[in-house]
Amino acid sequence: MAFDTFMFILMSGILLGGLYALMATGLAVVWTTLGVFNFAHGAFVTLGAYVAWQVTQPVAGGFGFMIAVLMSVTVMFCLGFVLHFALIKPFERNQNVVLLAVISTLAAASIIENGVLLTWGPRDKQITPPIGSRINFFGASINAFDFVILAVALLALFALALFLRRTTMGRTLRAAAQNREAAELMGLDVPRLFAITLGISAATAALAGIFVGSLRFINPSFGADPLMKSLIVVILGGVARFTSPIYAAFVVGIAESFSAYFLGLYWSPALLFAMMIAVLLIKPEGLFGHRSKTL
Amino acid sequence: MTAALLELRGLTGGYPPVSVFRDVNLTIKPGEHVGFFGPNGHGKTTLLKTIAGVLDPWDGGIYFEGNRLNAEGAMQARVSHNLNYDLFRKRRIKARDVVDAGLIYVMQGNLLFPEMTVEEVLDIAPRAARGRPGVGQMRRQIHDLFPRLRERWQSKVRYLSGGERQMVSIAVGLLAMPRLLMLDEPTLGLSPKLRIELSQAVQNIRETGVPLIIVDQNVEFLTSLVDRLILFDHGTVTREIPAENMPDHAQLMEMMFGGAH
Ligand SMILES: Nc1ncnc2c1ncn2[C@@H]1O[C@H](COP(=O)(O)OP(=O)(O)OP(=O)(O)O)[C@@H](O)[C@H]1O
Ligand SMILES: [Mg+2]
Repeated sequence: MAFDTFMFILMSGILLGGLYALMATGLAVVWTTLGVFNFAHGAFVTLGAYVAWQVTQPVAGGFGFMIAVLMSVTVMFCLGFVLHFALIKPFERNQNVVLLAVISTLAAASIIENGVLLTWGPRDKQITPPIGSRINFFGASINAFDFVILAVALLALFALALFLRRTTMGRTLRAAAQNREAAELMGLDVPRLFAITLGISAATAALAGIFVGSLRFINPSFGADPLMKSLIVVILGGVARFTSPIYAAFVVGIAESFSAYFLGLYWSPALLFAMMIAVLLIKPEGLFGHRSKTL
Repeated sequence: MTAALLELRGLTGGYPPVSVFRDVNLTIKPGEHVGFFGPNGHGKTTLLKTIAGVLDPWDGGIYFEGNRLNAEGAMQARVSHNLNYDLFRKRRIKARDVVDAGLIYVMQGNLLFPEMTVEEVLDIAPRAARGRPGVGQMRRQIHDLFPRLRERWQSKVRYLSGGERQMVSIAVGLLAMPRLLMLDEPTLGLSPKLRIELSQAVQNIRETGVPLIIVDQNVEFLTSLVDRLILFDHGTVTREIPAENMPDHAQLMEMMFGGAH
């Protein structure tokens, strides 16, 4: 294999890894804080992309890419915040809350997906990327925008980590995640903190959705694949540390892009699931960490 | 007569459907330091958690500085096992309201936030003070009360010893600028040396004028710190002993178990 082909595959794997890292972290933060898996995460990715697409259209004023990102992220944060009170809070005192949340978030995913279908129709759309030029990277010709996506995704994750560690608000979020009762006895408004967490998660999903939508096409059900990949990433990496799913995301991204080249597109999900099952058998708490969940 | 600081009127509660304490009546005056003593598993923690708003009281009233903290009337029995009953059932007391009022509970064997450093925990603790003044001064005071914590400032709570964790828990309670501080078994699992150290710290807290409720199994620790001892047995207050005739361990056992021990 030529070196430039290798670089090309590696770079597309790394780009994929950056996107998966963004999506999986959103999922992991909700899992470690609210204690439930959010199956509407993929629908958040979809809706976020559609909101941004709409903002760039002439009917909505034809705003630029940056405005579209800001609008979509804000809208999705608010939606996530509100949805906590509809999807998870009503069941939080039930002992089967994890199972009930699976059902309520699956329902929300279905409602959002069909809402998108009704509003925007089934045809593929694309968000016009703001940068179209290509650059030569070790012999491989790569989209300049790919580097921007990777940088912004990593920057967003870094900002989120900094928010959780350094700000009082972020620390109260972690406190509520680690010991709900003690957080309540500290007078913290735990439902509000949980709603903010779901909001942040939805905002990161929207950002990822916009990036995917400017690389490929979007349609009402395109979020299903990111959701599945994020689940694989979270299971593979575990959630022992904030960075665990991020490492796993790059492992999955690079594995996927090499397997797509060597084994073909249809085999890469099978390979990823095989990897996931192998990890579950050998190290159920995930590759990168030894405890089950923290933040 | 001055108004009561904390007043419990006919308070009943537990873990539905198991009732743990019944018809508890108690008045604590401003500036008073009260000790709770009773056998294991007779409901002291359950009572304090109910007062703190973690558990819903079944019946009766909790009054703090004249204001009622819980909802009026008795709790309704569960009517349906099929509907999502929790959706329609309102909490009868809110931990936030209790904290807002300045009634602060330091949990028994508190694990706090295992993955946060001491610094981070003490950084968010003053949130509970809700703007009551003196947080800055309290921060400095905590360094004097628990010099040990200085050395563990950047350790995660998970890596602290039981005694150090207890100190962080109490520090968290103090940073809430409590108008009444409830300590649940602060000496649980501590070595005698640490117990003396903690006893000194609580003595110092007492001298700053913070009213205290202390629950403990150690009679000497308790009697050296409180003005009044309340015996709690089978889910209710059985006896109140004023400071003048504080009993020692043997006398107390005699009182509680009628010489069987
Ligand atoms: N979460 C719970 N659910 C159901 N029952 C509980 C729960 N926690 C405690 N109990 C029961 O309630 C009763 C009172 O327990 P509680 O912890 O209030 O006792 P305690 O007086 O504080 O004891 P100790 O001195 O050991 O701390 C016990 O019989 C206990 O088994
Ligand atoms: Mg107890």
